[in-house]
Amino acid sequence: MYRMVPSKAGQAARDGGLIAQLRRGALEYCVLALLERGERYGFDLVRELAEVDGMVTTEGTIYPMLARLRRDGVVETTWRESPAGPPRRYYKLTPSGGQALKEFRQEWIRFRDGVDRVVSTS
Amino acid sequence: MATQAVKEYLHDLEAELRDLPRSRRQELLGEIHEHIDSALADAPARDEAEVRNVLDRLGDPADIAEEARQRFGLPKVKSGALEIATLILLPVGGLILPVIGWFIGVILLWSSRVWTTGEKLAGTLLFPGGLLLPAGLGFVAVGGQSCSGVIQNADQFITGPAQEIVMSCDGPSTLYTVGAVILMAVLVIVPIAMAVVLARRMRARTAPV
Repeated sequence: MYRMVPSKAGQAARDGGLIAQLRRGALEYCVLALLERGERYGFDLVRELAEVDGMVTTEGTIYPMLARLRRDGVVETTWRESPAGPPRRYYKLTPSGGQALKEFRQEWIRFRDGVDRVVSTS
Repeated sequence: MATQAVKEYLHDLEAELRDLPRSRRQELLGEIHEHIDSALADAPARDEAEVRNVLDRLGDPADIAEEARQRFGLPKVKSGALEIATLILLPVGGLILPVIGWFIGVILLWSSRVWTTGEKLAGTLLFPGGLLLPAGLGFVAVGGQSCSGVIQNADQFITGPAQEIVMSCDGPSTLYTVGAVILMAVLVIVPIAMAVVLARRMRARTAPV
């Protein structure tokens, strides 16, 4: 007979289970949302994401995600002169990235509100 | 020195990213390098503590590499039977099955994803054959001692069994002996040490199966 073991579920979530997966997935759309507000250097993008509470533990792991987003064609980079030093990569949202963000936004709000109604204690 | 720490960090990252396609690896290294430059350009003082801080915030190169593998759908690097067989065959494979045993070890070494190209080169060249070479040399040294028998009293009048044969083993000179012992020690220690280093590198960067 199946019995739910709360400690196990909690442990899985802490060990990079559900919460880590949620964070990973949502982080991609946070990048798209930041770029929707304006184009940015990679470094500024990473620092802004790092400021979102609980979203990023190590800044370096954001770069593989950015590389993947670029390969998927939702963001693109151009080289720009930087205020100090050599030219740097400048990130911007592509039209397909804008479309992906729009769809995510609708789904996310529905999902978030649904979960909140059931899970929320207040 | 501050720039030395950055260099080491990027070097470690490059090693961790070894199993990614070259273009992806270059791209990530370039971006992380840019990130470090930008962070330090913003920093008020570019001292050692500041550099450490920037590198700490970036995180462990192994974590960045693992994230890259997940994002690009590459399998996790794991150590298994292949790596264990490699670590056994490189030093002693040549003794079990002369030459061929070591050669199989080399093939396994190069087909593993656990080690970097530099480590594979070192594992192959230090030393070819593993312990087969010192074992062979030891055998030759013991078997090849030259002994000569000298018949003494031969020019004297032989009366009865006065003739005696003096056997003298013509041992090598002391200098030669010391040199040979050192050479043997190096030939024995280096292949074993190499296997230990490879095992440690493997343990440092893989999750056991």
